[in-house]
Amino acid sequence: MNDVDDQLRELLPRMRRFAVSLTRNASSADDLVQSSLEKALSAWSGKRPEGDLRAWLFAILYRQFLDAQRRSRRYSRMLELFTGGKEDHYQPSVERTVVAQTTLQAFERLNTEQRALLLWVSVEGLSYNEVAQILDVPVGTVMSRLSRARQALRLLSEGEITTPALRILK
Amino acid sequence: MITLPPSERDLHAYVDGLLNDADRQTLETWLAAHPERAKQVLAWQRDAQNLRAGLSGELHRPLNPELDPAFIRQRLRRNRSRHFATAAALLIAVGIGGLSGWQARELTMISGVLPMADAVQAYRMFAVNDNMASDWNSAKPNDVQVWLDQNFAQANRAPDLESAGFKPVSARLTSTEQGAAAMVVYKDTQGRTLSFYIRPPGANNHLLSSGTRRDGELQANYWSGGGYNYAVVSPADDPAAQAARQALKQPI
Repeated sequence: MNDVDDQLRELLPRMRRFAVSLTRNASSADDLVQSSLEKALSAWSGKRPEGDLRAWLFAILYRQFLDAQRRSRRYSRMLELFTGGKEDHYQPSVERTVVAQTTLQAFERLNTEQRALLLWVSVEGLSYNEVAQILDVPVGTVMSRLSRARQALRLLSEGEITTPALRILK
Repeated sequence: MITLPPSERDLHAYVDGLLNDADRQTLETWLAAHPERAKQVLAWQRDAQNLRAGLSGELHRPLNPELDPAFIRQRLRRNRSRHFATAAALLIAVGIGGLSGWQARELTMISGVLPMADAVQAYRMFAVNDNMASDWNSAKPNDVQVWLDQNFAQANRAPDLESAGFKPVSARLTSTEQGAAAMVVYKDTQGRTLSFYIRPPGANNHLLSSGTRRDGELQANYWSGGGYNYAVVSPADDPAAQAARQALKQPI
């Protein structure tokens, strides 16, 4: 059990980083990590499959995030109904100190799945098969989505297109 | 082994360092001869490096003790025991509910469910309505008993109330959750109306011991036999109806 906890502890920073890249907010990222860890620990006895622990945790976290997003979207739709307002689109935080500012800013403007994909592949170095398992799609689909994500990141970094135009690219 | 020109997948695998040495060299040679593709691949590589560098800071955030697995385990245990407590409380509540439910059922059986309530309702809805659509009426060649026997096997005979001046004039099939039911409307020469109702016993209509009950201005006399429940519904205070109910008491 302690051995398990040590493995988890070691992966904790990566989970938090992934969570931040999804939520774009440190404190809701930690909430996400917490609920994912709860899920992981509850499922541990039965469900943990063979293979990379990190990929398994990322999958749990990603699904938790999508669920939460779906819930909050339902909520904000309701809110919109009453207030007539529109949800503010994300503005990249200025205080974040980064090396590659433009790339990061471009990254933050990608959609959720593209951010997750690039983080898994480019930053965490997961294999295409692992990503396919997380997303529950064929590897070929992963490849075409990765390709589109990379092109979108490229275009956004060069400032050639703005977010609305990105929709066409999807 | 990759083939040339390289597929999109091979190019990405190159960027992500997933090619073996031989394939990587093959691809690098090919890229050297295809500067457009090389430029794109290089840009992807640079983006990936930038991302790694840009996001590396996120790995060094101060620890959050609430995320420590041991802490989360503890929380889960706490929640679980709370769930157990909730489940136990629920079990007790269900137990109590079940007991009182059983008592309530007894009460219902004594007084709650009115026997043959649908007979009374049918009387109110149809019997007093002269325009009632009928499945049988006195103009038909067969008498009402024949019609009833077609629909209800082994049912008791429809009561003969002629001695009180009431004759069957029309009848109608209706349905209940338990199956077909029927109402026969009797009238006397004054146009006074009473009804004979037959239905299968239902969830709340177990076979009835004979009895009477008053419902507003109506009285229902009910009994069971031959697998059905029966009721005669009539105006409670009408003398002619009282005579008819007397006739009912003669063995049918």
